[in-house]
Amino acid sequence: MAAPAMEWSSPSRRPSAIRREQNLALLGAVVSGAVIATGLLLLLVARVNPSAGERLRAAMMDIVAPVWSVVRAPFDGAARVAGDASDYAGAVDRARRLEQQLDLANQRLRAAAADARALSQLRKLMQVQEPRRVTVATTRIVAATSGSISRTAMISAGSANGVQPGQPVIGTEGLIGRTMEAGQFNARVLLLTDPASRVPVIVQRTGQPGIAAGGNRPVLSLIDRVGIDVPLLPGDRIVTSGDGGVFPPGVLVGLVVDAGAAAPLLRPAASPMGAGYVRVEQAYLRLPAEASGPVYDAPVPAEARVRGAPMPRLRDTPPAIMPLPVAPPATAPR
Amino acid sequence: MARSSPPFRLMTADERRGWWLGHWRAGVPALFTLVLTVVMLAPLPTPVPLFPHLALLSVFCWTMVRPRLLPVPVAFALGALADLLFGMPVGVAATLFALVAVVVRLADRLLGDHALWLDWLLLALVLLGFEAGSVGLMAVAGQPVPFWPQLWQWLTTLMAYPLVVWLVVRVQRRWLPDQG
Repeated sequence: MAAPAMEWSSPSRRPSAIRREQNLALLGAVVSGAVIATGLLLLLVARVNPSAGERLRAAMMDIVAPVWSVVRAPFDGAARVAGDASDYAGAVDRARRLEQQLDLANQRLRAAAADARALSQLRKLMQVQEPRRVTVATTRIVAATSGSISRTAMISAGSANGVQPGQPVIGTEGLIGRTMEAGQFNARVLLLTDPASRVPVIVQRTGQPGIAAGGNRPVLSLIDRVGIDVPLLPGDRIVTSGDGGVFPPGVLVGLVVDAGAAAPLLRPAASPMGAGYVRVEQAYLRLPAEASGPVYDAPVPAEARVRGAPMPRLRDTPPAIMPLPVAPPATAPR
Repeated sequence: MARSSPPFRLMTADERRGWWLGHWRAGVPALFTLVLTVVMLAPLPTPVPLFPHLALLSVFCWTMVRPRLLPVPVAFALGALADLLFGMPVGVAATLFALVAVVVRLADRLLGDHALWLDWLLLALVLLGFEAGSVGLMAVAGQPVPFWPQLWQWLTTLMAYPLVVWLVVRVQRRWLPDQG
């Protein structure tokens, strides 16, 4: 780059050589323009059909993620060491504060034990049905796209282990994200801090539902909160509400750090860095893939109805492929 | 340090085999960029885009040093691969890698003989265009993202530039010795 001579061969003086070089330069420019136009076209395709190329992405993941799953160990250790180093500062103060909190928590636990018994009796009396939460796979994060615009990570469990797109990924401290693509042996997880991540949540103290949205920042924003005139306090726990067909209810998403902003800011409870093992669960009350509206028979012309043809009925089974038309029945069925 | 090979008809059998097999060296810049793309997938999930964009630095450096070995369609393909690996819509990094290759070739021809700090300045401008272009193209693809967090990656990529330059020079001296 700082070398004195960038031209490897001196340009020839013959006019045909000069013309050839000009033609080649023009061809190069045309090819570059075509390549860039192809890129823009691919982008428009991605806008219209976001799931295009999903299988190709899954195949690439299966090829590349094992490289990092082998090399992963030093990164886990480094993340844990970073956490441990910050733990030593202020340890005594933290210990005192923790003991106070522990006493308070034990009091509350004793009060809650009686409540829990009453609640289970009530549930049995009223025969409350709650969907079970099923763990699909327990795995580790093996790769992450921290050099990209999107905040995603790869886990070493794929469709061979039962992982599908649209399943929640939960760590020990809280929610990590949800799966967005699943290859054979690896899956891609959309982390909470991604701008495309939206988690339906509920403020535990006030019971207000909202949505926790990421924005490529260390904090999430709580948008679309019902009852925005009720102020939140710093430290309010934000948990998943169970809506939306992906995340189960009750998983800790984060704590409010800035209640005064237009959209309150949340600090995520679980950090995917050094998260250790994460759990992939089945989607909670998964929404049906396609909504099917009511299906009627084909409309019957008025002349046929006058002659006794039946009215179009609402079918409760989807119409089968009809064979070639045969002679209509002599009498109307109705 | 130019080492010219004898004309084909005067080669011995060994030299001829070496000449055929030596064509793998044409893929060294692409392979280098591929390896750096996999390095970018290190399991360090940060809430902001912090990891330097080593693949872009590699395309930048190799286009400056050996433009013939990294033509624009190859840069496009490497960008498409980066898109697939990073979970972005295909075409965001692809278009921008191709654009960066074109711009760097133009700039190299215009600047002529220049010092390293000028390269660094050019990189700062090109990188700013890349980050802004990524945000714009993600919006075109229907997934809007905010722009300001991308400046973290701009900073760390600028800081990682000397490392990639050193690596490129080492690789070039070891595997592509024909033209210095």
